[in-house]
Amino acid sequence: MKTATMIQKMRTMALGIVVGAGLAMGLPVSTATADETCMSPYMAKITGQEDFVYVWTLGVEGIGDGQDKLVTIDVNPASPNYGTVIDSLSVGGRNEAHHSGFTDDRRYLWAGGLDTNKIFIFDVHTDPAKPVLFKTIEDFVSASGGVVGPHTMYAFPGRMMVTGLSNNKDHGGRTGMVEYTNTGEYVATHWMPTDGDLLGAEKGGKYADGYGYDVRVLPRKNLMVTSSFTGWSNYMMDFGKMLGDAEAMKRFGNTVVVWDLHTRKPRKVLDVPGAPLELRCAWQPNHNWCLTTTALTSKVWMIYEDETGEWHAKAVADIGDPSKVPLPVDFSILSDDSGFFVNTFMDGKTRFFDMTDPHNPKQVYETVIGTQVNMVSGSWDGKRQYFTSSLLANWDKKGADDEQYFRAYHWDGKELVKQFEVDFYKEKLGRSHQMRFNAYSLFASNNAIESGTRLASSD
Amino acid sequence: MPAHVTHADTGSGILALGYGPLEYELPEPGSYGLPPLGAARDAQVLDEENRRIRLHDLYDGRIVLLNFMFSRCSDINGCPLSSYVFNRLKSTMQDDPELEAGLRLVSLSLDPERDTPEVMKLYGNNFRFAGTRGDWDFVTTDSEETLKPILDAYGQDMQKLVDAKTGETLDISHLLKVFLIDPDRKIRNIYSVSFLHADLLLNDIRSLFLEADGKGAVPALARSGSVLSRPGDDKEGYESEDYVTDSLALTDRKGEGFDLLGLAESPPLGLPPIPEPPDNILSREKIELGRKLFYDRRLSINDTFSCAMCHIPEQGFSNNEMATAVGVEGRSVRRNAPTLYNVAYMEKLFHDGREENLEQQIWAPFLARNEMANPSVGYLLGKIRSFADYEGMFEEAFDGRPIGMETLGMAIASYERTLLSANSPFDRWFYGKDETALDDAARRGFSLFTGKAGCSSCHLVNRDHALFTDHRLHNAGLGFENSIGDAFKPSRVTLAPGVFLDVDPEVMASVGEKPPGDVGLYEITEDPADRWKFRTPTLRNVALTAPYMHNGQFSTLEEVVEFYNRGGVDHELLSPLIRPLGLDAGEQEDLVAFLHALTGDNVDALVLDAFAAPVGDPGQNSGRDP
Repeated sequence: MKTATMIQKMRTMALGIVVGAGLAMGLPVSTATADETCMSPYMAKITGQEDFVYVWTLGVEGIGDGQDKLVTIDVNPASPNYGTVIDSLSVGGRNEAHHSGFTDDRRYLWAGGLDTNKIFIFDVHTDPAKPVLFKTIEDFVSASGGVVGPHTMYAFPGRMMVTGLSNNKDHGGRTGMVEYTNTGEYVATHWMPTDGDLLGAEKGGKYADGYGYDVRVLPRKNLMVTSSFTGWSNYMMDFGKMLGDAEAMKRFGNTVVVWDLHTRKPRKVLDVPGAPLELRCAWQPNHNWCLTTTALTSKVWMIYEDETGEWHAKAVADIGDPSKVPLPVDFSILSDDSGFFVNTFMDGKTRFFDMTDPHNPKQVYETVIGTQVNMVSGSWDGKRQYFTSSLLANWDKKGADDEQYFRAYHWDGKELVKQFEVDFYKEKLGRSHQMRFNAYSLFASNNAIESGTRLASSD
Repeated sequence: MPAHVTHADTGSGILALGYGPLEYELPEPGSYGLPPLGAARDAQVLDEENRRIRLHDLYDGRIVLLNFMFSRCSDINGCPLSSYVFNRLKSTMQDDPELEAGLRLVSLSLDPERDTPEVMKLYGNNFRFAGTRGDWDFVTTDSEETLKPILDAYGQDMQKLVDAKTGETLDISHLLKVFLIDPDRKIRNIYSVSFLHADLLLNDIRSLFLEADGKGAVPALARSGSVLSRPGDDKEGYESEDYVTDSLALTDRKGEGFDLLGLAESPPLGLPPIPEPPDNILSREKIELGRKLFYDRRLSINDTFSCAMCHIPEQGFSNNEMATAVGVEGRSVRRNAPTLYNVAYMEKLFHDGREENLEQQIWAPFLARNEMANPSVGYLLGKIRSFADYEGMFEEAFDGRPIGMETLGMAIASYERTLLSANSPFDRWFYGKDETALDDAARRGFSLFTGKAGCSSCHLVNRDHALFTDHRLHNAGLGFENSIGDAFKPSRVTLAPGVFLDVDPEVMASVGEKPPGDVGLYEITEDPADRWKFRTPTLRNVALTAPYMHNGQFSTLEEVVEFYNRGGVDHELLSPLIRPLGLDAGEQEDLVAFLHALTGDNVDALVLDAFAAPVGDPGQNSGRDP
């Protein structure tokens, strides 16, 4: 183990990347200066300026070719194409394009469709400027035994963990996680704990709804964490119609589950009412906590370990005025855990919270990004923050407020300054959703990467 | 349990178990389950006086033991054994009043040629010494043509040994089977020679007695009469901060097949025979094919929607989780998904009554852009044709006819037509004359239903059956209110258990499409007088099909009763049948209690059958490239 790590460290440094697994071994995080902070710790990381941002984009009827696409934007200020769309790869259908994630070796980008349950696997290493569709997984539902809505694509060593949102029996929120090999072979389904089968977990409070959404890990604590959103019926429903439907509004997740990472067994179901969505775990080696935000109740929750090793959840801050349902969506934590940006969809704002005292986050900054805002991705050094607009096809605002954009900002620690933007409607692209960074530096030598990959996978 | 008895079957020359003392200790009656094995089918037979009667006349609410026999049977471990065992039971009936009143023995001949009613009477006379108390009927049929379907229905095999020259029947060979049939005409056990013993039969019969008294091992039914009919993550009580989840594991959603054809051929108490189109007579093959299609999500343009995604079995074959439906790509449907229970009887389909039969009806959701969104008839037929797992199924079900627009509709209609549910507490009380079946509140509710509240003027109750609908469309004012009134009202929105917020209507409008109009029957007839008329729904199983009304506006039956009690929404076109009812709170509660008594006793069996159906998804035996 030690030898492998040493070789890995040497090789990855020589290649200009840091393999994330090293973080778990206590490597200083400052060696990496770019890349996103919401990525898997098992993953190779970009150390310099990112060259591209891939935007997984929802097709809109009547806009361009009307289908989902992976849009590549050049974000390197040194490039002649800086600030422009350099590639658009249509995949067919409106699949409810949502989240995407790289394999641990970063050679492939997996992108899911929450509606059609397809997973599109793009080759992003052969030519990072021009991804190609390598493979499409179409049997996600049948292979998994009924999981619907592939959401988070999260890198594990040599494999991908795909969280689900729903099921093929009632299109409700009960679901599971599905594990695949990096080559797209089905491995296992891990069902979320329910009252009917807690799978050995402790029901820590009043709820065990079996819902799912996001997944993150803290490998050194052998911890995996999942959150809970809602089923197909709701995430595909017109937002206004759903808000007026008393039955539908009862169908949101109220739980976070902590798992034994190694055995994939749920340990404890924690009550976190109001649809806890994105999860971000701390990067610093002495920080034994993860954060989530609840979409409906507009709070920041901390999932933390106490002195006895027990895991708990507690609300640590409000986001905006919860009585106005600002609807916190994506958030992005700084790599030194000192703060985070959080977006609120309804008012189109991003807010920066200071985390000097992690148990007591304080909002210190806010600004309007657009009429609506959903995703935020920050570079590892925190200097660049990128924003997109779309939440879900049928939840986005209607009429003039339905702006669809990619906006690039610089952050100096006090203020966000816009650098450029791409209008996704004007460019006939569609609804811009999730962003992922890529860089030429990662693939300077494909042969060398092959060896490095094998080492990373064997960790 | 009988299952562990391992005596060898016939042919050894050793007397069967039933002739001697039982060699093992029986479990306590009621300490074990006797799961239903399907419906005990009806048929015409001849009694000892040569009268034409129905088997269901004999299955008269008592427990029935049925054996197939013939008078000239000589195998000591065959018919004589069952007759010997029946004779022992008859003897026991002499000094056991409960058994005398609650058990009926029926012997049906396998040899109509020789076992005429007269012969059967003589044969029965052999057993008169057992005593006069209790009934043992000896029945036969008028021909082998009449007998054959009965044997098929009960799965009783029979081989005749015939003289090649004379054509005379020399002997009849059959596997000994005795059927235990409960008061609801469901088969609960089938005995073979290896465990046909009077003591064991008595044990099972007493278990069924206990079950009827509510003391048996069957799971206690909720007030609605079902334990399975509930959303898998039940949100009952979500309005309260004290809400506690009671979610079911998806991996436990398993079932077992049910005899749907038998159910359709012998509808439960309270339902008339089903109207069957002459060109689409039910068969097992059609029902099985229709059931497979019904749960196949590949039957939509993007493989996400089967019929069952809106007509969810455990949610009353409707959808308890939303007011109005959502289709492909989340497109809004403006009406509530109606239940499919007892849809076989509906003369008008859809809330606006625009379709006349199930065979045709299915094409509307198949092709509707906001439902399953198939682009054309040919596209869908071609798609199914390409699925390896359907190969030959249409041809088998339709006498060689391949899949086509007609056969696809006929197959799905066949499955839907079998979803019959009745024999509710109300039926057992009203039609079954069981005074204990209905509680006082529900009885008072029934008096209001047919009297002061006038519900039965549209939700009809007939002398011998009840469909609780007049098959007509009426204007109760709800559609009028939604069309003419303010569609987006300030609304209390649930954020979490016990957490609510009044959300500004403008905020809701900013993220919602314009609410769709709905003028009901007018949209079909274009007659202004038909504005806002909607179909009278059946009320059977209504406790399982929340939310209510054509647009799912009311979450509870209490709200529905309250709406009608205030006379609907008054306006120029309001049906004259709708008027303020003047019911006090107690009377409204009684009406609701009555509505809860309309849940059929077989819904769990139908839900389990649905759970056993395969769910079609891409890559699952589809024969298509992944």
